[in-house]
Amino acid sequence: MLGFLRSTILSKIVMAVSGAALVGFLIAHLTGNLLVFAGPEKINAYGQGLRDLGPLLWVLRIGLLVAVALHIISSIFLADKNRTARPVSYSKKKSIQSTIASRTMLFSGITILTFVAYHLLHYTYGIVQPEFYHGEYMLHDGRTVHDIYSMMIHGFTNPFITVSYVLAVTFVCMHLNHAIASAFQTLGFNHPKYNAKIKMFGVGLSAILWVGYLSIPAGIMAGVVKLIEGAH
Amino acid sequence: MKLLLKIWRQQNSETEGKIVDYMLDDVSPDMSFLEMLDVLNEKLIHKGEEPVAFDHDCREGICGACSLMINGVPHGPEKATTTCQLHMRKFTDGQEIVIEPWRAAPFPVIKDLVVDRGSFDRIIQKGGFISASTGSAQDGNTILVSKIDADASMDAAACIGCGACVAACKNGSASLFVAAKLSHLGLLPQGQPERSTRVLAMVMQMDEEGFGSCTNTYDCEAACPKGISVKNIARMNRDYLKASLFGV
Ligand code: HEM
Ligand code: SF4
Ligand code: FES
Repeated sequence: MLGFLRSTILSKIVMAVSGAALVGFLIAHLTGNLLVFAGPEKINAYGQGLRDLGPLLWVLRIGLLVAVALHIISSIFLADKNRTARPVSYSKKKSIQSTIASRTMLFSGITILTFVAYHLLHYTYGIVQPEFYHGEYMLHDGRTVHDIYSMMIHGFTNPFITVSYVLAVTFVCMHLNHAIASAFQTLGFNHPKYNAKIKMFGVGLSAILWVGYLSIPAGIMAGVVKLIEGAH
Repeated sequence: MKLLLKIWRQQNSETEGKIVDYMLDDVSPDMSFLEMLDVLNEKLIHKGEEPVAFDHDCREGICGACSLMINGVPHGPEKATTTCQLHMRKFTDGQEIVIEPWRAAPFPVIKDLVVDRGSFDRIIQKGGFISASTGSAQDGNTILVSKIDADASMDAAACIGCGACVAACKNGSASLFVAAKLSHLGLLPQGQPERSTRVLAMVMQMDEEGFGSCTNTYDCEAACPKGISVKNIARMNRDYLKASLFGV
């Protein structure tokens, strides 16, 4: 199954396809999380809706896990190959037209990975802030569900969590600033008529994701999103 | 002009090398970069020292023999120009110039600034050709080539195999070179029969030689003295994917 690792080009293609799946996840995840602005009812019902997917949720989770695994395996293989390709470094080396984002993909990737692990420990496993993990919320239809809304607010009231989140989102968007346009090239799509648009799409989408993800802590800190009295 | 040259000196592939400083006076701004090194070498020979070894042949920008990392940029500061076509007027009086060989595992240093680019030859041997029967050549006019394809193929064929793309790439990737050779042949009717086997074989050899992978940073394109475009790399990826998925 990992035969693609024999070829740098196939590894890059796996990287691009798995990366594209992860970009899809980031868009979906943001769309869901923005419901926090619609109040506790909406976002908690959405969270419950995800849980109600049952086996389908597991299909999505496993798909995501496979994409992450493939992305990381190929990045390790390629990074190792790239390192050994230049055993003696230059005493003076200038980059000519490459961007910083393109030269630091491994670094931004590892930063993202570290944050994702922490993020899962926080919101999925409830290990980071266990005191806020078991909150319950009663939906209008009478069902009692996991209170995501207050958990998010408690998270972003903690300065350490907020700062690490802001940094991580920034690194994700730096990664994507290069990655999205890069994936088109890797998959063989390069045309003078569309190149400028592809680049704009990559930069634009990463900027939208950045603003979107950061609007949540911003909204909470600005008091637009706040705890509802008596709901907790 | 007066220059402080910091040049990589290395006796042979077995020994370790180091940067050695040389002061050089009376450099004419009209000299080419290689002529400036010729002047340095004459001085060194007069002093009984070993001259600096560097590669060169045509000295008119067409053979691909000259190389040199000049102040951190392959072929020096002038865009789309080989080292042999670079003139000293691009530098300033009193400037410090660091001169190093191409750095990549598949380009081992032979001596001083000379590297062995045999890895490129081995990639070409795997498919950088078309197979044609011997005998009298077919009348050229019977094979129609669109102007667009002919131009794109000619642009790719401008690659002189110098290796600046590898030298510039942070990953030591040879993608631009291999892609140029693939586009050069793959865009013409004569290149079609072997198009799929060619891309698989040449890329496999590229990987086996120990070149790095492309991360689309595009420094290669900026360093290339012939302005080869990275769109050729996209074409290589496309052809490679097609050949891997659908066979040859
Ligand atoms: C939210 C998570 C992530 C997303 C959405 C994402 C997306 C992408 C995309 C679309 C590409 C472009 C592929 C191409 O150019 O062919 C890419 C490249 C890359 N990613 Fe990720 N990635 C993520 C996480 C990671 C992680 C965790 C790592 C490392 C452990 C990583 C390391 C890399 C590397 C090294 C590259 C190749 C750099 C390049 O080709 O320029 N990424 N990523
Ligand atoms: S692609 Fe450009 S830089 Fe690379 S070998 Fe050919 S001419 Fe030299
Ligand atoms: S010596 Fe031939 S290209 Fe420079």
